[in-house]
Amino acid sequence: MFFSKSFRQGVKAAVPVWIAFIPSSFALGMAAKGYGLRWEEIVLMSALVYAGPAQYAVVEPLAAGKPALQILIATVLMNLRFLPMSATMAPYFRGVKRTRLLWASHFISASSFVLPYVRFQKEEKEAASTGTAAQTGDDNLSFFLGIGMTAFCVWVAGTAVGYWAALSMPPGFEEVLKFILPAYFACILAIDLRERMAAAVCILCFVAAVPAALWNTDWGWMITAIAIATVVWRIEEWRRPA
Amino acid sequence: MAPSRLTIIVGMALVSYALRVIPQLLLTGWGFPPAWDRYLRYLAYGLVASIVSTTLFLSGARFDVAAAPRRTIALAIAVAVAVMTRNAAAGMLIGTIAALLLSWMAA
Repeated sequence: MFFSKSFRQGVKAAVPVWIAFIPSSFALGMAAKGYGLRWEEIVLMSALVYAGPAQYAVVEPLAAGKPALQILIATVLMNLRFLPMSATMAPYFRGVKRTRLLWASHFISASSFVLPYVRFQKEEKEAASTGTAAQTGDDNLSFFLGIGMTAFCVWVAGTAVGYWAALSMPPGFEEVLKFILPAYFACILAIDLRERMAAAVCILCFVAAVPAALWNTDWGWMITAIAIATVVWRIEEWRRPA
Repeated sequence: MAPSRLTIIVGMALVSYALRVIPQLLLTGWGFPPAWDRYLRYLAYGLVASIVSTTLFLSGARFDVAAAPRRTIALAIAVAVAVMTRNAAAGMLIGTIAALLLSWMAA
């Protein structure tokens, strides 16, 4: 499988994902050091959880000894988006052995979802218009793994290197460790936001999070974010033509 | 007794894996309603924005009054650069340099 044409095509297609993963994983490693996590903890987290926003969300609470339930709920909420991603990909892996699906599923991430999904859809349309056979589920899975596995390696290695880089940071650079990861996620949000209502959710949550956290250190920001997202979503659904 | 960090990380891994694997095994071809898709996106956006704010402006359970203005300026610079260049890494880099310079100036 690793030497199949589809896998190699996936590896080639993954280069932009690696480039995107390098700064974010590096920033995560640095932030983990800044908050006081151990090297093996953040590297293990990158390998086992492999979900940038969720990892970012829990670095501070985990280091500060916040309740485990809060950390797990934050992880679930941040990773709920895997449900639609995984469900959308599933039909393209028809006929693949369950054991392969079981371990391949770990490599699903927002970044490794878009490229294969766009390609599978394109191939399906081409096959339908030309009357040729579509790619098999195994071919599709190999392509997906070419992207997912290599991006995963970059993610884990980037986290480890970022942590090491933070270790050699001279005194006076603590501000970098505190600032780098939230800045990166704020930049991603700013670039990613195209809808007005999504922007409203971000701005409202950004403003309300600090007073909410001061009101309740453990749960305030999370309850407020869920409430704001739910209310804005309901308003949008209500305004949307049926 | 509170669970160790490693136990919590393993718990995070299990819930993340479950969310990835369940659709592969049980929801093949199941269409996710677009409205729910939007809700999950808003939820993720809202949580990330909240965490950006709390990690930048809180030190433990205390509002970091001294650092808040300079971090706000540095964050605004980072976001402006990212939006102008369409490059998050460039925004992060310039913003971090700005945060560092501002913190040295304030020291």
